[in-house]
Amino acid sequence: MDTLLRIIAIIIEVLLLAAVTYAVLKGVKLAALNLGVGPKYSRAVTLALFAVGLIVLVFFIAHLTTLYPGVTD
Amino acid sequence: MSPEQVFWAGQEVYIKDIFLPVIIGVLVFVPVLAAVFAFGFLRHWRLWKLGQPDDRSGDFWKRLKTTLAIAIANIRIIRAKELYPGIMHALIFGGSAILILGKIVRLFSYATGITSPPQDIYLYASFASEVGGVLLIIGGIMAVVRRYILRPPRLDRQPEDSLVFVWIGLVVLTGFIIKGYRIAAGDVSPVDWASWSPVGYLISPVFLTFTEGAKNEILVWHRVIIHTVPASILLGYIWLNRSRLQHILLSPLNIFFRSLQPKGALTPIDLEKTELFGTSKIEHFTWKQLMDLDACTRCGRCQDACPAYFSGKALNPKQVVLGLKEHLYEVYPMPLSRKPIEKRPDMVAEVVTDGVLWDCTTCRACMEACPVYVEHVPKIVDMRRNLAMEQSRFPEDVQNALKSLGTRGHPFRGTAATRTTWCEGLEVPTAASGDFDILYWVGCSAALEDRNMSVARAMVKILRAAGVNFAVLGEEEGCCGDPARRLGDEYLFQTICQANIEIFKAHNVKKIVTACPHCFNSLKHEYPQFGGDYEVVHHTQYIDGLIRDGRLAPGVVQGARIAYHDSCYLGRYNDIYHEPRSVLKAVNGGRVVELERCGSNSFCCGGGGGHMWMEEDPDKRVNIRRIDEVVRAKVDVVATACPYCLTMFEDGVKAKGVEETLRVRDLSELVAEALDSQWLPRAL
Repeated sequence: MDTLLRIIAIIIEVLLLAAVTYAVLKGVKLAALNLGVGPKYSRAVTLALFAVGLIVLVFFIAHLTTLYPGVTD
Repeated sequence: MSPEQVFWAGQEVYIKDIFLPVIIGVLVFVPVLAAVFAFGFLRHWRLWKLGQPDDRSGDFWKRLKTTLAIAIANIRIIRAKELYPGIMHALIFGGSAILILGKIVRLFSYATGITSPPQDIYLYASFASEVGGVLLIIGGIMAVVRRYILRPPRLDRQPEDSLVFVWIGLVVLTGFIIKGYRIAAGDVSPVDWASWSPVGYLISPVFLTFTEGAKNEILVWHRVIIHTVPASILLGYIWLNRSRLQHILLSPLNIFFRSLQPKGALTPIDLEKTELFGTSKIEHFTWKQLMDLDACTRCGRCQDACPAYFSGKALNPKQVVLGLKEHLYEVYPMPLSRKPIEKRPDMVAEVVTDGVLWDCTTCRACMEACPVYVEHVPKIVDMRRNLAMEQSRFPEDVQNALKSLGTRGHPFRGTAATRTTWCEGLEVPTAASGDFDILYWVGCSAALEDRNMSVARAMVKILRAAGVNFAVLGEEEGCCGDPARRLGDEYLFQTICQANIEIFKAHNVKKIVTACPHCFNSLKHEYPQFGGDYEVVHHTQYIDGLIRDGRLAPGVVQGARIAYHDSCYLGRYNDIYHEPRSVLKAVNGGRVVELERCGSNSFCCGGGGGHMWMEEDPDKRVNIRRIDEVVRAKVDVVATACPYCLTMFEDGVKAKGVEETLRVRDLSELVAEALDSQWLPRAL
């Protein structure tokens, strides 16, 4: 039960952080386009930000699975 | 210590260790936020300033009142026909407002010392934040269901739409979770104050299952999340100027600067001074017309309301606005730069095609439907003006109608009738023959079009029955100029208008009655632009007045089901809805059958904007669609108060083959026939 709770907690955290990461990086892309980065670079910007997003997410998952405390010490 | 004291001691730690650094961080961010926001707004501003001048000042309080009524009370957004999206918007708006209000109170609560121990205002603010959050989530879920499951055709989908949902969902959900964390980290069982944070309280037991070490870790994440929210808000500031969310800022502005001129008055061109004959480039629009493009919320209500779109034509008012907006940003791609690109697409050919422009019946349904007062019709007419006056590029029918207007004084080609054919044998007094109180303006349709001549004759019968001292202009009467203006030939309109004003002056005309809403609109709202100020009354208003004053006593028809069709230029343009119904009730025993679309939501007959004189694709005729609706209402008679509607409906009834079961009548015809006390439906 404790392990299950831990997994659920980690999943919720990862989902939240994924959403936060998505929102922030998508916002960065919008801002870049808004600041005059040409639409032809849109795909390149997307790919770059996607890579950043993946790295951030991998870090979050690694951190949470190794450091997130169990429900019982 | 009591559980409450323990909790609030924990809260002190929470506030000092976590919340205060966050607040300081946000405050440090404020100048950056302000700069980013100003940058985004300045970009819009500079683009608007590219437009032509347009005075939208004056009547500050009236403007403010309407802006607040729409922005806060959501009037125009919540409508009977738009209940789901209206309620959805109200929940999102109301929820956000309550949430933000609660947050603001709580933001300053520590400094004001109302947190520990919690005073009433703090608890109310806490509760309000949670209620606001729940309302926002309900509204948000409704929006997601609508956009991604119900998928009404009028909604387009752009990538940043989902982002907006994610962002708002994130802000609200993390708010609830943070509260749950906080209650859990307080290390006490929930006590009575927790009921003021019902959602956070519900979440907190989950975190209470964690051990002390876990809670410390949770607090780290608490910190991460609460730090992330301001970062999202930073980007939110950018989105306020960039994404769908920009309507939060731009729609109220657009509402505030809406036109307060009469709805039916197009802006005149000073032909002596102007160098611009209509609009062929995006900068030729006024600054307000450019603001319109940014203020559009892409809700698609205009698309749903448009008779041309409904009938399968090329025109889609929403796409006109979005196409022009895209064009604006394509021509001026660099922020804060007012230098256009060198090779730009031809706006009045490639962005908005000729076909789209000529499809518009100027019925104003799009503008009536728009919750933020985007002005579609004036833009279309401005582009038509360019086609007509600068490029002489129009469909052959339009060309012929304008040619006839210029040479023969009316747009009807091929008619053998003269201005006095309709009144032969009636001995109708003319203005030249003596004094009169009322000038009956017959209009081109009633004077020259066979079916409408009986309307003019009915009017004479009514005016005589009421003992009105009236006259007509007879051979002196010309077109009012409305078709020329709506077709974009402003020069021809002004020539006609000035000639008519001279005639009115010569006969000392003070009051005009007309049966044509197009003439009515033009004479009432557009002639004053050139010095022609008269009391102009539509015949339904006048007849209603005669009946109410007891000067006219029509009989009552028994047993006929009569529906009234609202003409666009009478209803939407001039808000005349009551009088025609009052007249119909007077002759129909107090009964009026309402059509599916009626009042301000009425559906065009298809004849406005010059379409009376245009050949149309038989499969895409607006009048047929309207007759379908009338047939569905199972009525014996459809009554109109407009010669265009009368003609279009007669054509529609014939095309549908329902002449035997459905009759089309002008209200004046019904009244004239009802003047005979033995009037019966079969006599129709």
